[in-house]
Amino acid sequence: MTSAASHDVPPAPPNGARRRTSHVARLYAATGSLTAFFLVWAGIAAHPWAKPPRDARLAALAQREQRLQRDARLVRQVVDRRWAAYRAALARRRAAAAAAPPAAPSVRVVTLPPLATTRSS
Amino acid sequence: MLRRRFRAMGTEMQLLLDARPDGRATRALAAAEAELRRLERLLSRFDAASELSRLNRRGAMRVGPDLLAVVELALAAREQTGGRFDPTVHDALVAAGYDRSFEELPAELPGRASAAVACGGGVRVERSASRIVLDPGVRLDLGGIAKGYAADRVAAILAEVGHCLVDAGGDIAVHGGPWPIGVETAEGSLTLELAGGAIATSGRDRRRWTRGGVEQHHLVEPSTGRPADGDLLRVTVVAGSAAEAEVLAKALFLAGADAAVREADDRGIPAVLVTREGRTLLAGGLE
Repeated sequence: MTSAASHDVPPAPPNGARRRTSHVARLYAATGSLTAFFLVWAGIAAHPWAKPPRDARLAALAQREQRLQRDARLVRQVVDRRWAAYRAALARRRAAAAAAPPAAPSVRVVTLPPLATTRSS
Repeated sequence: MLRRRFRAMGTEMQLLLDARPDGRATRALAAAEAELRRLERLLSRFDAASELSRLNRRGAMRVGPDLLAVVELALAAREQTGGRFDPTVHDALVAAGYDRSFEELPAELPGRASAAVACGGGVRVERSASRIVLDPGVRLDLGGIAKGYAADRVAAILAEVGHCLVDAGGDIAVHGGPWPIGVETAEGSLTLELAGGAIATSGRDRRRWTRGGVEQHHLVEPSTGRPADGDLLRVTVVAGSAAEAEVLAKALFLAGADAAVREADDRGIPAVLVTREGRTLLAGGLE
């Protein structure tokens, strides 16, 4: 039995092979660290927190849009005020017209041929 | 100038519209004709199904805004003219033989001349309930004033499109203008130029017939209940609306020549009066 168990255990690697494995791992680790370092550096160098530089024309457009919106609000307020005043004046005029007796129609004798003729109805 | 002619309310209708011949004008003319026919269906005493005929049969009922408005106009006119204009002459007209539309009326009716029929019965308008109540035995005839009202309504419809003239069988309403309108006189005719308002004529020279050999016509004197027998043949009046012109023309006709000229002058009612003797009188500022 003992001799059979000793056959199952793999033979220990020689010292040279163990040293070579460790060397490769260190190389991978160094490469990975270097790559990670460069990635971080590139990320920081890109200044993702910084605002992108604005186009002057876009800025001017935005400013103009705001000014127009402000003007439109003012115009709307003026128009609303005037419309309300007009409606009130119209209502007053209509009430006055309804209260006043109808104006006598303008009529005179002429020498034109008639377009229609009134007759006993 | 657009023109539409048709028959309605027992007479010739003519619509003149000063507008471009486009769809809007055509629709306005069609709407005007439809409005006249609608008002005829409501206000004719010769149509047994009309709202007016139903009111005359029942004596009291809820009515639509048009009948309510015309009856109110007629009652106000009765008040203003001291009863010379009166919508309760229905039975007097029937007694005179005018019991069907004039087109169906023969020139000579059999039987005796009409007896006097009392006019001036009570009519109550309950505006809040849209209800009209007639005293027992009272029936309404709105012939002339209904035609004037219809002319005014139609002119208002057409006025939205352009200057217009509505000729409802001699009751003429205009918007804008001026419009030259012919008036029959004793000597021939004259032309009045009218800018706004209306003109109407009342007379015994048309819508007349005989009964028992006695001449009858449609202008009943409410105080006697018989066709009027004054010295005027016809009276033409200019007023702010066709309904008003119709009322004033009839009131002046019944007043007689002298009183009518005085009243027209005093109140500034432009009027052309033709006497049965063949004289033409201008009054109310007309020269």
